[in-house]
Amino acid sequence: MTPVTEQADHEFLDAARRALRAPAAASAADTAGAADPLDALGWWDLLPELADRDARAAALALFRAQGRELSTSAALGALMAQPFLAATGLSPGSLVAAIGRRSARRGEVLVVVGDVTEAALLIDRPGRGAAVLGRSEVELQPVAIAGQLAVHEVRADLSTWSPTVEEKQAEPARARGRFLGRLALALEMLGAAEGALALAVAHAAAREQFGRPIGSFQAVRHLLAWAQTDCVALESVVATAVRLDAATPPGHDEVVKALAGRNGRRICERALQVLGAIGFTREHSHHHFHSRVLALDSLLGTSTELTHALGARIRETHTDPAVRAAVLLPNPEP
Amino acid sequence: MLRITASGQDDPFRNDAWRYAEAFEAWLVSRPPALEAAARPVASYEKRVAVTSELMGVLSGEGWARYGWPAEVGGLGGDILHRAVMWEALARHGLPAMALFEHLEILAPTLVAMGDRDFVAQVLPRFLRGEERWSQGFSEPEAGSDLASARTRAIAVDGAHVITGRKIWTSWASYATWCLVLARTGTAESRHRGLTAFAVDLRAPGVEVRPIEQANGTDELAEVTFDQVAVGPDRIVGELNGGWRVAMHILAHERATFGWFRHSFLHRQVLDTIAHGSPVGDTLLGDALLDLAAVRATSHEALRAHAAGTTLGPRAAFVKLLLAASEQSVNDWVLASDPDLAVGLQDDHVAVCRQEYLFSRIVTVYGGSQQMQLDTIAKQILRLP
Ligand SMILES: Cc1cc2nc3c(=O)[nH]c(=O)nc-3n(C[C@H](O)[C@H](O)[C@H](O)COP(=O)(O)OP(=O)(O)OC[C@H]3O[C@@H](n4cnc5c(N)ncnc54)[C@H](O)[C@@H]3O)c2cc1C
Repeated sequence: MTPVTEQADHEFLDAARRALRAPAAASAADTAGAADPLDALGWWDLLPELADRDARAAALALFRAQGRELSTSAALGALMAQPFLAATGLSPGSLVAAIGRRSARRGEVLVVVGDVTEAALLIDRPGRGAAVLGRSEVELQPVAIAGQLAVHEVRADLSTWSPTVEEKQAEPARARGRFLGRLALALEMLGAAEGALALAVAHAAAREQFGRPIGSFQAVRHLLAWAQTDCVALESVVATAVRLDAATPPGHDEVVKALAGRNGRRICERALQVLGAIGFTREHSHHHFHSRVLALDSLLGTSTELTHALGARIRETHTDPAVRAAVLLPNPEP
Repeated sequence: MLRITASGQDDPFRNDAWRYAEAFEAWLVSRPPALEAAARPVASYEKRVAVTSELMGVLSGEGWARYGWPAEVGGLGGDILHRAVMWEALARHGLPAMALFEHLEILAPTLVAMGDRDFVAQVLPRFLRGEERWSQGFSEPEAGSDLASARTRAIAVDGAHVITGRKIWTSWASYATWCLVLARTGTAESRHRGLTAFAVDLRAPGVEVRPIEQANGTDELAEVTFDQVAVGPDRIVGELNGGWRVAMHILAHERATFGWFRHSFLHRQVLDTIAHGSPVGDTLLGDALLDLAAVRATSHEALRAHAAGTTLGPRAAFVKLLLAASEQSVNDWVLASDPDLAVGLQDDHVAVCRQEYLFSRIVTVYGGSQQMQLDTIAKQILRLP
């Protein structure tokens, strides 16, 4: 039984991880810095090709690599803006979507992830269309956030709202953008959770107590085995969704994202227990991975919200949200 | 309804599970009477076995149940994906459980892969028609998780073997005609190297089956004793002293591909309870559905691997853990939605809910306990010291 992630996807994942590590190494060597790793990967060229299974899998693998390497980019917003490019006449990378998030204190807050200095921003308001705002029309406030994630809050005057893309056109683009965004976030949470788990597995083999490695104690082994099971479940669900894309049932992006948040948090918690006190220090990397999972879980619907909403929807509609068996067949007809 | 082509050359479904799925769906939509009879909650296991056996007779007669099995042993060709399609669709159209035909997906793949060809060609069609049924005799009173310590003996006498010993927790043995028995052919100390798998006819002299009443009121389990039961050489499955391989092959199916079949019926259970759902349980239901999505994706991965001829290996443990977790979370929600199951047995639906709820509390034990699965992952996948 082979892991669901296919060989080609793994190769791209490895390539993406290497590319994301490269700038750090390069800037240490020569202060002039290095090329944008997304350029180096040819990532932008994949964006117009997302209908193609391999291109889609490769484009999305970047996010798993970002989680694993704790790197940050504007790729999420660019991916979510992709379905709006045709209507706005912009090219991949020149438009980045801001993401709405509800704060218990401040209501709706708009955030962008990564470095967006070169791009225009897409402000999407369900029911009212979407607008493209130039960098001079918005103010970006950096948010101090853990998880080695570059996040800015967007301040823009929306009182004189005039949509660049009318609601009728924006609606399907928004649904597509959210679908892609949720899969990307799920993969980045998977990568981050895998990072935390890898630290704990290595620690279990190296750290000795009572004269033997703690990884020889069954209680510790079982914590790690559960965490690995949660990783495998998430990987399998998200890889299937990436493969099937539009053939997934309605709301499946919410299932994927909810599972990612739930499993991601559980994996980090179990890893932390195995690491012991050292894992709770600023010096140790665990908290970067853990914080990233928490931060990403808060975007495009938290796992708590989505899980509850999924249950409510199914109870009310009496439907079954499972991916249809027939579309899972290796070569389903359209 | 289905035109079965004897030649197989122009069989439209053999190499096309998608077309098979569409045709089977159309057949189910016509609500065949055998499905109507089986698609309702039945508390009595005896009746459940009877209606499901009847359904198998019809499914085989029409050809549907013969897809996914090689022609040499009475099938119509195709692979496990055909079977996956069939059972998923049956569950979706109202069948509540596989009953003891679970062994078509736990035991039978190994019988076909490792059993004597002529023997399997005789017995598989009867199993598929619901005329005969199988059970799995591994566990013993002193050999639970430590299966390699099994003591039931098989002694070679005149080209045959004579089996004496005691098996326990043998699911469905009271309703079965056959049992695949793991018996010791090596020395008492030979552990997993000295075991052989035998197909034993439970109707033979010297076999006694004693049903065990379970905590959920059913009698799925039984104790089976063998007193000098003779079995011929064609009843050896796999090699002499190769029983461990046979057992591992079966358990890999029970842990991995079986997740697909079992979880299809958990979806059924969700749909059958949904009318009782209330907003209070929405998060529990959402959680259960996440767990089911995980089983669906991982078990489907196992189906595809098996169809491609790959051995299932230690990754089967993941599916087993995820299946048990989903069975428990689905039933957590069922209990929250329909607390009647805790206090009364008003009708068959409540009785079955209660059976299933209580059963879900022990699913972390059968087929290798949760602790054994976690050990497997820690050792063989994480390679912990
Ligand atoms: C519903 C049901 C159906 C079954 N059907 C069949 C069947 O059809 N055929 C068949 O052969 N058997 C069947 N079994 C038996 C099943 O395979 C055994 O119950 C199982 O292998 C565990 O054995 P045991 O019950 O003797 O528990 P034990 O092995 O005694 O274990 C008891 C507890 O101790 C734990 N434990 C044991 N050893 C260790 C260890 N080394 N490390 C950590 N924890 C440990 C176990 O995880 C478990 O929690 C069935 C069981 C059930 C409940």
